[in-house]
Amino acid sequence: MQSLRWRHPWLVCCTALLCAAAFAGARAQDAGRFEIRNAYVELKDDAWLLDVRLDLALAKAAQQAFDGGVPLVLVLEAEASVERRLLPDETVVSLARRWQLAHDAISQRFVVTDMATDEQVSHASQADALEALARISAIEVADTGKLPPDGRFDMRVRATVEIGELPAAIRILLFWKSWSRSTDWYAWSVRP
Amino acid sequence: MTRRWLPVVIGVGILVWVVALAMLAMTAEGSQRYGELSAWILLINILGVVVLLVLIGGRLYDFIRDWRRHVPGSRLRGRTILMFGGLAIAPLLLVFTFSVLFLTRGIDSWFHAEIRQGLSDALGLSRAALDLRMREYLDRTGHIADRLAGLSGASLYLVLDEAMRNAGADELIVTSAGGQTEGYSRAGMQHGLPETPSDALLLQLRQGRPFVSLEPAAGGGYLIKVATQIGAEPSLQSARLLIATYPVPQRLADLARTVQDAYQEYGRLSVLRVPLKQAFVLTLSLVLLMALLAAMYGALYFSERLVRPVQDLIAGTRAVAKGDFDTRLSRPSHDEIGFLVTSFNDMTKKLARAREETERSRAAVEAERAALEVILARLTSGVISLEPDLRVRVANQAAGNILGVDFAQAAGRPLAELAAGCPLLLQLHEVLLEHVNAGETEWREQVTLKSDAGRRELVCACTALPGDTGATAGLVLVFDEVTQLLQAQRQAAWGEVARRLAHEIRNPLTPIQLSAERMRRKLMRGLQPAEAELLDRATHTIVQQVEAMKQMVAAFSEYAKAPEMQISEFDLTALIHQVSDLYHAQDPRVAFGLSLDPRAAALEADSGRIRQLLNNLLTNSLEALDGRENPVIMIETRRMGDQIVLTVIDNGPGFQGGLIEQAFDPYVTTKPKGTGLGLAIVRRIVEEHGGQVEVDNAPQGGARIRITLPAVPREARRAEARREKA
Repeated sequence: MQSLRWRHPWLVCCTALLCAAAFAGARAQDAGRFEIRNAYVELKDDAWLLDVRLDLALAKAAQQAFDGGVPLVLVLEAEASVERRLLPDETVVSLARRWQLAHDAISQRFVVTDMATDEQVSHASQADALEALARISAIEVADTGKLPPDGRFDMRVRATVEIGELPAAIRILLFWKSWSRSTDWYAWSVRP
Repeated sequence: MTRRWLPVVIGVGILVWVVALAMLAMTAEGSQRYGELSAWILLINILGVVVLLVLIGGRLYDFIRDWRRHVPGSRLRGRTILMFGGLAIAPLLLVFTFSVLFLTRGIDSWFHAEIRQGLSDALGLSRAALDLRMREYLDRTGHIADRLAGLSGASLYLVLDEAMRNAGADELIVTSAGGQTEGYSRAGMQHGLPETPSDALLLQLRQGRPFVSLEPAAGGGYLIKVATQIGAEPSLQSARLLIATYPVPQRLADLARTVQDAYQEYGRLSVLRVPLKQAFVLTLSLVLLMALLAAMYGALYFSERLVRPVQDLIAGTRAVAKGDFDTRLSRPSHDEIGFLVTSFNDMTKKLARAREETERSRAAVEAERAALEVILARLTSGVISLEPDLRVRVANQAAGNILGVDFAQAAGRPLAELAAGCPLLLQLHEVLLEHVNAGETEWREQVTLKSDAGRRELVCACTALPGDTGATAGLVLVFDEVTQLLQAQRQAAWGEVARRLAHEIRNPLTPIQLSAERMRRKLMRGLQPAEAELLDRATHTIVQQVEAMKQMVAAFSEYAKAPEMQISEFDLTALIHQVSDLYHAQDPRVAFGLSLDPRAAALEADSGRIRQLLNNLLTNSLEALDGRENPVIMIETRRMGDQIVLTVIDNGPGFQGGLIEQAFDPYVTTKPKGTGLGLAIVRRIVEEHGGQVEVDNAPQGGARIRITLPAVPREARRAEARREKA
């Protein structure tokens, strides 16, 4: 083994890369599907409203934490930017909305709370609750004054599921653990 | 300025670090108070670690460098670091180990099965209590539904209002199976239309089962929602539904919420059990790491502080050992080290003072010694200072000149060793030994030393040097060469004799000669031939003897008088050629060998006196060679610096034993007709010119006379002046 390592370092490197890829694949399988299915904005009553549809499946760690009683937080980040000539795009709108999914052990219901308005809706099952969370509708992105009058801008959204109510120090100290999971940015251009 | 603020900066840094550590511990515990700052707190701690590592690295580098260079005190510092480090690190590791143990076991103890079971039971109890309430509300709702059967319009609203008040409901809604509201009643000021029945509710009712559900309410309470069919319609499609919402009593709701929160918190902690332990262990490890680094830095810092005075002392001691007594150390503290440094400074002060005094004394001694050396060098008397074991301590140049010994490198050498190759010193050493063996330390004696160059008369005086303990510290031997003085005295005496002889004898000689001639002239004619012959022979003898006596008196007169010198430069080589040619012509049988140095040709002297000198020498040689076969006279000249050396060698019988010592004395001769004044006059002429003359026998036989004359006239005049002064 000693001689193999020193005589064929490229072989050792390839093996290590394959192992890492296999590990990453296993992690991905373990994670389940979490992505933005579609998203769009529409102008209604002088306000740009955002609708997002998610494929929302919890990762094993998040499911275990939720089963243990730890609430989950869905974070939706949205950004609107405007193209500029010879300059980087200007982000004119940036917002983040949070919804908490918690299990009420007394009522045995799954409660989704809009953390911006404290409105809550309870569901009989986790699937119903996740389905409700996966349909995000009519989120006000901005009024028309903040976005270009010609209605040409770029949008992108990203969703993140965090294991909530964790001490921040634990998140930092145990930085190698996956305390949250995010989708890729879902971007599109809005044209009139 | 920087050094003055350094402790403040360090103090503030330590304070920030300690606060950051405390906050880190609190955030790890789960406190939300510092949660947002946790990144900064962690950053401060990591920064502290980095700063400590840099500081430790710097000090370790210095320490290792000193260790490798064997800087004094580095070993002691190493031991101190080990001691300090060991004392600090061992308890830290022990505390860390037990802390981790206690911590992990403490966290594990939170999650006993009994606790979980208790919480589950409490949750079940709460549910059971709420189930009772739910069943009660289901019954109430059933009764209300029975009363509502067949009612519609205003009567429906009236009954609904009454039933809502009586049942304590928040809301009663009558809807069709499709969800269309037919009537409702609400408590309080609620706005908006009633909610449409959910699919789950309708599904359950279609299945023929009443719907009852406990739902969390906004604000932390609970609501019980009950739905049932009004009347006994066989088909749900045509039936009406009563949906009632009842509030859970506040007390019950609070208790249930407490149980719910506790159960949820326990679950959360269960989930965080492992991360929490890891976070605590990590925090403790970070604290331990910081403490270890701080302890290590403290060990390095304090060992340096502790050893620095010792290093200063070592450096100071080395400086003192090298003779730097001006070394002063700054007092580091008022403890024992400070006392040691003060004592060291006092010691160096005293040493410096003592050295200054010693230097002064030494300078004085050196000055005295230099003066003494000058005096000794100027002395014409020979001075030899000896150790008690007769080793030479010091000897002046005059001693070397008199004894023919180079005393330049003689210090410390035994006198006997130096005397091995020097006959004069050997004889003097023997005389000295006789007195030393006799126990005499104070003595005076005139010593006659014999050598190939003649006799040396020394007047010696020896005295003992007093020692510290009364013993003799050595001997001082002072001696004067009086050979020339004695010779001068003898010459003066002979000169006086010659003058008196010339005066007393010359005067009667002429009358004697005249009387004898007159007697012969008067009496010769009246005498018989035999008598006349006798008279003639007697008077002739008288006249001859008188003539001889006149010559002798003239010679004496010549010896006695000191004519004025006529110094001029002349060619010595030419003069030698003239004189030797003259004598060769007088006796051609004698061969003359001349070896004349061209550099010795020019001589400033009285040429007449030098000619007389050559005449006397060649006359002596010719007389000595009388009757010899192959007589040879060698005349050599050499230039030796400012001196001209003239050597005359013959192959005659040479000087007989004992005669060399008196060769220059007047009337010392082995020849029957000699006056014994030839060499005496030669020496007088040489001394008049400031030169020296030596006689000895040549190795191959024959007499050898070596004359050294100064080439420049100044030397001759100076020698004359010295002689006149003497």
